[in-house]
Amino acid sequence: MAEKHKAAPMVEEVSDFEALEMAVRELAIEKGLFTADDHRRFTEFAHSIGSLPAARLVAKAWLDPEFKKLALEDGVKASLEVGIDWLNPTGFGTPSDYTDLRVLEDTPKVKHVVVCSLCSCYPRPILGHSPEWYRTPNYRRRIVRWPRQVLAEFGLQIPEDVDVRVEDSNQKCRFMVMPMRPEGTEGWTEEQLAEIVTRDCMIGVALPRPDVKANAKRPVHKAIHPVEHH
Amino acid sequence: MNTSDKKDTHAGMSSQDPDLSRIALLENIRNEGRVWEDLCEQYGVDNPDPPWKVNLEGTCDALSAEACALPLLERRWEEDELSETLYSDVPYPERQLLALAHSMIRRGLVDEEELARRMKEVNRRLNMV
Repeated sequence: MAEKHKAAPMVEEVSDFEALEMAVRELAIEKGLFTADDHRRFTEFAHSIGSLPAARLVAKAWLDPEFKKLALEDGVKASLEVGIDWLNPTGFGTPSDYTDLRVLEDTPKVKHVVVCSLCSCYPRPILGHSPEWYRTPNYRRRIVRWPRQVLAEFGLQIPEDVDVRVEDSNQKCRFMVMPMRPEGTEGWTEEQLAEIVTRDCMIGVALPRPDVKANAKRPVHKAIHPVEHH
Repeated sequence: MNTSDKKDTHAGMSSQDPDLSRIALLENIRNEGRVWEDLCEQYGVDNPDPPWKVNLEGTCDALSAEACALPLLERRWEEDELSETLYSDVPYPERQLLALAHSMIRRGLVDEEELARRMKEVNRRLNMV
């Protein structure tokens, strides 16, 4: 028997803003400013980028004090060394993101975490797309007011003697976190280090660990008390 | 980069300040248009961004890269100015869209009347059953 499928709610009207966006785009195409295919390529790019360049930036900074200094002073310039030109990250055009990236360095006494309390600003060119939870009101509102509680919900317990600093993104600035290099990674190469710097580490809700890689398969834990099916 | 550095950089992005005089069509949208936040509440939708946001980003990128008609930094500089003045009471990304249309009209890339006509045409098309 077919189950009843309830349609997801959707906005059932065309707003003036939706019509304006479409009208602007169509006129620009008709006037030859760009083609529909150009537009499609940009939107496709926006959906295909990932967090590897940012992981490489962190790994490189861990290994090279001079590069670390550059990253902290001028994130945009440092990004060039991991292949991201904030003025031309796609290789065929510019992003609509703003071009001021600031790298926040964690220390034994300071833990940074990034949010956009207003909307969903995120350093797309170097960190890819934001996770869905980053965009939720739950995270955006609560991380600002109760950061320790929210970080604990991610499994990250911050000791009382460590300051938690929440950096609020905006239209002018994008932020990413440079976590501390974990113990147990002595002698590792940049490539090895980059593998453990996951997206969440650079948002600030997780810490890198030598045994957790971004693309590693999750372990399967067998149930202690499995349910028996009869 | 500190705040003062940023202002200096901004100052070099545009040869002149944006024209902040009001544009009737955009004023009408600012006053009458329904923003995504209101629509979400009415229809019970929880997507934080309107579906057209990614298209807006694509248009901004393409205008800068393919056409060189509206360079990224100039557009952002004008968007910041307009967001703090004419469209300060409009939420993001609606105000980004208004600022883009404002910049395009003032540059003569699109004409206000033809934009109004096209909006009517888009509305008619999208509302066809």
